[in-house]
Amino acid sequence: MSFSTFVTDKAGLQKLYEAIISKHETYAPVEKFGKYDYKKVSSLKECDPDSPIAMTMSVKPLFFPRSSKIMKYESNSAGTSVSETEDDHLAVPRVILGVKHCDARGLQVLEAVNKWDYIDSDFQKRRANTVIFSTRCDKADTHCFCTSLDYDVENLDATDVALVNGIGGKLYIQARTEKGENFLKENLEKQSAVGSQQSAMDDIKKQYEAFAASFRLKMDYKDVNEKMSKRFNSPAFEEASRNCVSCNTCAFICPTCHCFKISDVKIKDTGVRYKSYDSCNNVYFTLEAGGHNPRPAKYRRWRQRSMHKFVFYKERFGVNLCVGCGHCAISCPVNISIFDVVNHVASTPVVL
Amino acid sequence: MDYSNQIRDIAAKLFAEGKIDVFVGYRMSGFDDNQVPVVITDPKETSVLVFTEKSVFNLTNYLKADHTRNKRVGLVVKGCDSRSLNLLLTESQVKRDKLYIIGVACEGVVDDKGNKMQNCMECFIPDAVVYDEMLGKLQGKKDYIVNADITELATKGLVERREYFEEIFENCIRCNACRHSCPLCYCAKCCIDQETSTLYNGTNTSSSAFHALMTWSLHLAGRCVDCRNCEKACPSHLPLHLLHKQNEKVIYENFQNHLAGVEEGDRGAFYKYSLKDPDDFIM
Amino acid sequence: MEALLVPSLAKVDRIIQETPDVRTYRLKFKDEALMEKFTWEPGQFVEFSLLGSGECTFCISSSATRKGYFDCSIKKAGVVTADIHLNIEEGDEVGIRGPYGNWFPVEEIKGRNLLFVGGGIGLAPLRSLIQYCIDHRTDYKDFTILYGARTSADLCYKEEIEEWKKNTSIKVVLTIDKAEDNWKENVGVVPKILEEVVKPEIANTKVITCGPPIMIKYTLQSLDRLGFSPEHVITTLEMKMQCGLGKCGRCNIGSTYICKDGPVFTYAQLKALPDEF
Repeated sequence: MSFSTFVTDKAGLQKLYEAIISKHETYAPVEKFGKYDYKKVSSLKECDPDSPIAMTMSVKPLFFPRSSKIMKYESNSAGTSVSETEDDHLAVPRVILGVKHCDARGLQVLEAVNKWDYIDSDFQKRRANTVIFSTRCDKADTHCFCTSLDYDVENLDATDVALVNGIGGKLYIQARTEKGENFLKENLEKQSAVGSQQSAMDDIKKQYEAFAASFRLKMDYKDVNEKMSKRFNSPAFEEASRNCVSCNTCAFICPTCHCFKISDVKIKDTGVRYKSYDSCNNVYFTLEAGGHNPRPAKYRRWRQRSMHKFVFYKERFGVNLCVGCGHCAISCPVNISIFDVVNHVASTPVVL
Repeated sequence: MDYSNQIRDIAAKLFAEGKIDVFVGYRMSGFDDNQVPVVITDPKETSVLVFTEKSVFNLTNYLKADHTRNKRVGLVVKGCDSRSLNLLLTESQVKRDKLYIIGVACEGVVDDKGNKMQNCMECFIPDAVVYDEMLGKLQGKKDYIVNADITELATKGLVERREYFEEIFENCIRCNACRHSCPLCYCAKCCIDQETSTLYNGTNTSSSAFHALMTWSLHLAGRCVDCRNCEKACPSHLPLHLLHKQNEKVIYENFQNHLAGVEEGDRGAFYKYSLKDPDDFIM
Repeated sequence: MEALLVPSLAKVDRIIQETPDVRTYRLKFKDEALMEKFTWEPGQFVEFSLLGSGECTFCISSSATRKGYFDCSIKKAGVVTADIHLNIEEGDEVGIRGPYGNWFPVEEIKGRNLLFVGGGIGLAPLRSLIQYCIDHRTDYKDFTILYGARTSADLCYKEEIEEWKKNTSIKVVLTIDKAEDNWKENVGVVPKILEEVVKPEIANTKVITCGPPIMIKYTLQSLDRLGFSPEHVITTLEMKMQCGLGKCGRCNIGSTYICKDGPVFTYAQLKALPDEF
């Protein structure tokens, strides 16, 4: 099925955004202390859908919240009762503006783990009810390397509607999924569909080529993936982990990290059980009650993180877990770049 | 301020003389003109060492890591870093005879954008206070000053102040990077991130963030040296210094002008008792 | 997802003090229809929660062939287990999710000699299989149980072991690490007794082993020496888990999820995994 492409300009897009915000529950990047986080907005003024990629938090918490209630319970002398919590406020029909391409890809990647065996229906429901608007970047940031990975950045279908900046102030609005197509038909007025008009397609292609040429970081993904899988015992992990201060920021802001912990908060007779983010860089992550820890050293935890991103997840689910957004390197207090680490590991000799 | 050559030479000499096993310094990040810490075990690598006004991160944080524990370590410290080192020494976290400290008379460091860091503008001890070797021209002690954002806090009422901080902490994602990047947060089980603590168990509710950060800042009250490692690590760019500077100011005013780690053997304001300590809050 | 993590309430029917730090909790779901429906295979585990303290992973130590209840044997080790020992009394309610994980290959080991090698609390998952096999005794051939602990007080399921001993079709070998007065059985660590006393027949034998990491390490070496092929040695792994659903990432070793692909593995499978358990 082919989807429509519409042409408009900056003012037309503003109008579309405004119409969306007034009609739908809308989330968009809102700035605070120089950092953008996705929040519910009621006017276009509050937010900036074109927020810089390096300064924007992942959209993941809108699908997999940093902390969510599993259940409430009450126990007293009369017995115990368990009640599931209230309705899911993230599963209502909504639109998210200004999602970055890599971030949207992150959601697509996460679907693999959420769909195997036990199905995380909440995640699916939230995604199904959401229309994602995503502007294709014009220029890569210092730590970006999305084009080097195993997915088609140019024709990414993880977003419902993609926006591409053309030449001379032209703006192309492309539906990438059926949901996006229907949404645009309902909400776009007057703007004409360009269909497969050659000039528009050429323009979009050119934008992509310029964007792809702006990358500082490039890797041969297939080669790195294959080499990494043979280098579990590489001493390079030890070298790479030396700088790490184990602060866990990388995992908390990563668009694809999905490890979580379950914890109880109980006050007197009533309590709530939460599911909240956790990180494999945390020393407690695998520490067993008996005192045994399969990953006691920092480099082992680092190895788990990078191997999971580049080898294990691919082995299991067929997609690479890292989407190349570079957020971990940006947020890291000592700027460790996973790109550098995996490339370095791949370049070392095989150790059995 | 550029001591790169001196530091390279000293590090190479220390390795050659067999005085250290590890050297902790700075190197260029490799992708821009900023610097990142580097932990060196191979004498050949000392050539990557640099030190300029871009050497921001407080390296004493590495003294609690796997690679330096029970080893002889050489490291570079600025004024603020040496104060945290002083505290680590009194708190028996590191042994003085295992360290070779290169002190720097710091002229202030700059942030990613090249602007002088705010804590450097307020800095009162620019020269390292504990060292084996000193680099640069001594800057001398300066007066203790408090920045406008802290004095402004004092004008707010209690309720207003609470609301102000609650609003700030709204964006906290409870990753605990602040605690991990702090050189003085070395507890094996931290009250704000241990998994079984029912109050601060990492749930990302706004009340949990508020309480956790408040508790954390109180544990550092009278110990924080304002190196701003926490702010550098915070992915949400929270102005965490507001908490620490406010505490510092209250302690300075109430506990005989105490400033953490300035003197050798300093125990932190709350770990020593003086008859002059305020006691009007005791019922 | 969250709905999958909500436990069902179960009542603690009986508490049996096995050793100074191990207790067996006999559980029944509050909802009788659920108890009726609830079934599991030997080797599977449940998430056991003491509401307010947290959730822990324990294997079910009884067999589904004994209907109407299920057992969890819990050793006091961490914060939650200490809370469980301290606070749970008979008649109290706890939360249970499960059963999760794979199980011992009960079909595949049919018609074989079975050698169970257990140490300490490691007998718990084996007990589930032993009960199952006793209840299907005709399906299996020779039956040997080698069980060891540090001291005689640390031996679990003492009453049940006495019953096994009375059963003439089962050979039971007990051992403790150091000699004690009034101890008439073997003295020595499990691998030593395995090689010197049990001297198992290798042909047509499946070994099922579980115990503390150090015992497993040396037992596997002994089995190697005795000439058992790794495919015929089955063990069950202990790894920190939280969701049990293959989502939380805690039990991830390589591309394997212990909670879904395990906890039961053959020694051959373990050898292929990265050394992180």
